[in-house]
Amino acid sequence: MDLSLPLDADPAQPTPTVARGRRPEFTDNPMLDRLYSVTLALVAELAVTRTRLDTLERVLAKRGTLDAAAIDDFRPDPAEAEARGRLQAEYLERVFRELAAVAPSEAPR
Amino acid sequence: MSSLAPWTEIGRHALTPEAGHDDAARFDVVAQLNTFLAARLAPAVRDSYEGRARQAFRMRNGHEPRDRREVAEAMARDPAWRTWSLVRRNTMEMRQHAGRQLVGRQAEALRDRARALNDGAATLHLDPALDVPRYVSAMDTHLMRGGYAAEGIADDVANPANYDAGLFATVGGMAGPWNDAAGRALASWLEREHPTFEPRVIVDLGCGLGHNTLPLRRAFPAARIVALDVAAPFLRYGHARARALGVEDIEFRQEDATATSLPDGCADLVYTTMVLHETSAEALPRILAETHRLLRPGGLAIHLEQPPYRRFEPFEQFMRDWDGRYNNEPFWTALHEMDLTERLVRAGFGRDRVFETECRAPTFKAATGRSEDFGRAPAWYAVGAWQTANGLAAIG
Repeated sequence: MDLSLPLDADPAQPTPTVARGRRPEFTDNPMLDRLYSVTLALVAELAVTRTRLDTLERVLAKRGTLDAAAIDDFRPDPAEAEARGRLQAEYLERVFRELAAVAPSEAPR
Repeated sequence: MSSLAPWTEIGRHALTPEAGHDDAARFDVVAQLNTFLAARLAPAVRDSYEGRARQAFRMRNGHEPRDRREVAEAMARDPAWRTWSLVRRNTMEMRQHAGRQLVGRQAEALRDRARALNDGAATLHLDPALDVPRYVSAMDTHLMRGGYAAEGIADDVANPANYDAGLFATVGGMAGPWNDAAGRALASWLEREHPTFEPRVIVDLGCGLGHNTLPLRRAFPAARIVALDVAAPFLRYGHARARALGVEDIEFRQEDATATSLPDGCADLVYTTMVLHETSAEALPRILAETHRLLRPGGLAIHLEQPPYRRFEPFEQFMRDWDGRYNNEPFWTALHEMDLTERLVRAGFGRDRVFETECRAPTFKAATGRSEDFGRAPAWYAVGAWQTANGLAAIG
């Protein structure tokens, strides 16, 4: 029995953690199982990012750099609101690009 | 959910991997996902069973599911069960992946620290010639890549370092900062139930990284403690970890619990914590027989595990059986269907000396106040036996 285990010392290299043995499938479509895996990983990474933002705000507040209430009280001025609206719309376009209807002017004739 | 201990509360020692903010947050997300699985998704699975699948099974078969196999048949295509399973499996995989990324990038530094702590110690006995049993070598138990015995570099301690760091997350800190709740539960049970029992020699079979060995040292400071395992990386790490925590007199030995080098009748206490379910049908009776051989008259063998399935109704049995099928625990099902008291009798213990009990960690407090996540709370079923005065089964 070979018990050697590749070393995952370089964080830039992939870290395969596929355990030996058949990976169970819980849906009727392997692609759906894989989509769940990607989605759950994104859920986890988003939670990590939110936690990091929370940490950042708390650290800045403790150091007096940030008034903790300033985040929740923030009201964008019209120019800021427009810029952020654009960012959010572009973001949704990226996420839902495959689901969104093609804009009428670009629809194939 | 706020009662989950954040990973940053883990007990730190020389071999604790250096974790950044996001490493810790990743473990915390796993802990939260496990809580969410137990508190929100598992009840939805039960609702789906009670409200739909059970009746559908009855319509097809003319009777309700009578055992966990029939529950499994009723639930095989159930969307709530399949979703719960998908999230649970992925949470286990994410926990392993997070730990491997964390430990992998500092595997050599951790190895060097373990080497320095272990250097020249007479209390660590590794046996490179030991034939690692197949149930350890062939199996990535609970999705731990390579299994317990795998090594990536010389004197590797990466897998145990991952195990130690990640176990805290898997149970949301409920096993305490040192992940030692089972050992503390056993020590506490002995103190409460058998206050005059003062073991002079204690043997921990399948000690892993020794997290459940150290509490016995605190409970019995004068005892000789021998901790056995087949996995060299875990013994290396466990021995170094014990020294880092100031415990230098536990012997860690690489031996197979089915046939140890220890002499007959040498021990007062032989125990396992969550080990039997990771062995095999072939090894288990031999391990129990070995405990009988090792004990001196008046000695105690005790094993902490999850409760046998017979204590639960079929639906809960079905849910508890998940790890056996989907978390790489191939002996899980057989072990929990087994009558371990009968196995102890067959191993040579007197029928009237065999008992079942519960061991609970003294500081146990349910994090969610709800069900115990189908076996992940720090309370254990225990089965044990006292060695009779002459070492033979009691008569009458």
